[in-house]
Formats: sequence, structure tokens, C-alpha cells
Amino acid sequence: MDNEFKSTEKLYRAVYPPEIADMFWKLDGTVSSAAFADPKGLSVDRGDYRSDEDVMSVMRSKFTGHIISVYVKNCFDANALVLYRPSHSNPYHSEIHGSLDRAILSKSQRVHLARCAEILTPRPIN
Amino acid sequence: MIVKQMDVRSNIRKYFDIAYEGEAVIVPRKQDHNVVIISEAEYNKLIQERRLNAYAQAVGGVPDRKKRIISERGSDLRSHNADKLSAIRAFKPGWNGNGAPAFAPGLIDTVGTLIGGLDIQPEVFPTAMGTIQLEYDNSRHDHMEIEIIAGSVDAEVYIIRFNGEEEYEQMSVSADAINKRVHDFYG
Repeated sequence: MDNEFKSTEKLYRAVYPPEIADMFWKLDGTVSSAAFADPKGLSVDRGDYRSDEDVMSVMRSKFTGHIISVYVKNCFDANALVLYRPSHSNPYHSEIHGSLDRAILSKSQRVHLARCAEILTPRPIN
Repeated sequence: MIVKQMDVRSNIRKYFDIAYEGEAVIVPRKQDHNVVIISEAEYNKLIQERRLNAYAQAVGGVPDRKKRIISERGSDLRSHNADKLSAIRAFKPGWNGNGAPAFAPGLIDTVGTLIGGLDIQPEVFPTAMGTIQLEYDNSRHDHMEIEIIAGSVDAEVYIIRFNGEEEYEQMSVSADAINKRVHDFYG
């Protein structure tokens, strides 16, 4: 893996807090844009073209909440940046930033990604 | 619009432009192996609808638009929002797994009072900035967010219309002001 992201690569986001799983779920079953707000940039795992099952299996080993995904294309369409930021414990760790000088996504970018997001884990029933 | 395959082939740019403008281009083929050309925006709408329908099937119901849910479940939603605020009040620092602050008790109190005075209940969400986001969606597929910020007398309002037009404004943090704005939003 390198710093290059293709539009077709998937990014996976763990939705915290895991103990209150429906905190970011809307009545219509979609996820709120509030789940995409983080002043430090949005932490994600890059898919690197693994299957959803493989990615979720790895994420579930350290996280019990819900997992959603977006495509890199969705980020590019919103003029957001996707940065590869691997760590010792997570070689897939990446971040979505609003722009070069602003880590947080704008309200517009958050709504766009929320609308594009696919919810991969069973959703809570409100 | 129905167009023969050979016409599409010889005028592909023209028909792509028509599809991009929002009109579906249907191309009949042998043995009914027909195809339809639509814009990416239309495709995304279909995908979103498919997800909502899948969700509705999973929970045993038909996907409803927000206003109907609100009118039918208004009192339930008010109670649900109060429960949610109690849960948010209990969040510890770092609740989002990335160093988000705990919520100021004064902010939770303010939002709790607001919720009690709102005619149409929003959906309530925490953000990692320590703010509370109230969300509304109307039947035209417009979306409105009202962000309540600790210690601020003004709330930030963001609206994205069904056609992608965006509006940013500020309003005072009061039930009267929000009620007026929300009634305008639902028209």
C-alpha cells in the first residue's frame, strides 16, 4: 500500500460509541452526518480491495460497534482528501480530511458522505 | 425517451448529455435485453432508495418520510430525544475513540429545554466537537441541520436543498426561533 488511493477503493469507518449503537442512526435507517464530524480528521481503515467480510473481521477484533463504508470516489466528489496514515498496530489506518489546511470535514462534505455511506453491520431498530 | 441502439452509437454524446440532464434514455435490444442510460445523480438516488427499502424490509415496515414519522411519533420522539440527551450527558472524554471532549452539562440542559419547546421534534446527534446537532428532513428531500454550541447564543444552520443548493445562516438558540424556521422548512 502507498499514498495513492484509487476512486474504486473502499474506506471503512467504525461508528462510536460502540455501547450505544443507535446514537448516529436516523429514523429512516440512514446514518447522520454527525458521525462524520471529527476535528482531528475522520479515521478510517482503507479496504485495499479486501472483501467486506475480511475487513470487518479485522475491525471487529478491536471494536464492537457498527461499521460503515464509503468509496474513495465519494470523498473525491466532495473535494475531501484521503490520507494514508498507517500505524504500528494498524497498517490500514487512513484519514479523510476536509482540505489541505483543515482536518475537519465541512458540513457539506459530511452530508455528502453520510448519503453515500453503506451500512455494513445490522442496523438497530428505532 | 426510447432510442435505437444504432442512434445511440452514432450520437452517444448527445444521449449522454440528455441522461445527464435527468431524462432516462431507454435503449431496446434483441430479446428484451434492454438498457437504460441515466445520470450518476439518478443512479445514486436509486441506490439510496434501494438501501432504504432493504432497511424497511429488515425492520418489517415501509420506509417513511420524516414528517410523517414526526406527526405519528411526535411524543415518542420527544421522549427518545430526552433519553438520548441523558446518554450523551454521560459520555466520557474520548467517547468517539479519537479524543472527543465530554459534553458541557450546560449545553445538554439548553438542548433539553429546547426539545421541550419544539413543535416538531428533530433527530438529535452528538458531534466530536462537543456540539449537539438537530436534524430535519422534509418530503421534498431537503435536509436541515441546526448545530447548538456550548456557550453560544447563536446556532449554526445548514440547509441542503433537494437540488444541491446550500444555505448557511445563524439563528438565536430559542424554541421560538427554531419553531419558526422549522415550520418554514416544512412549508
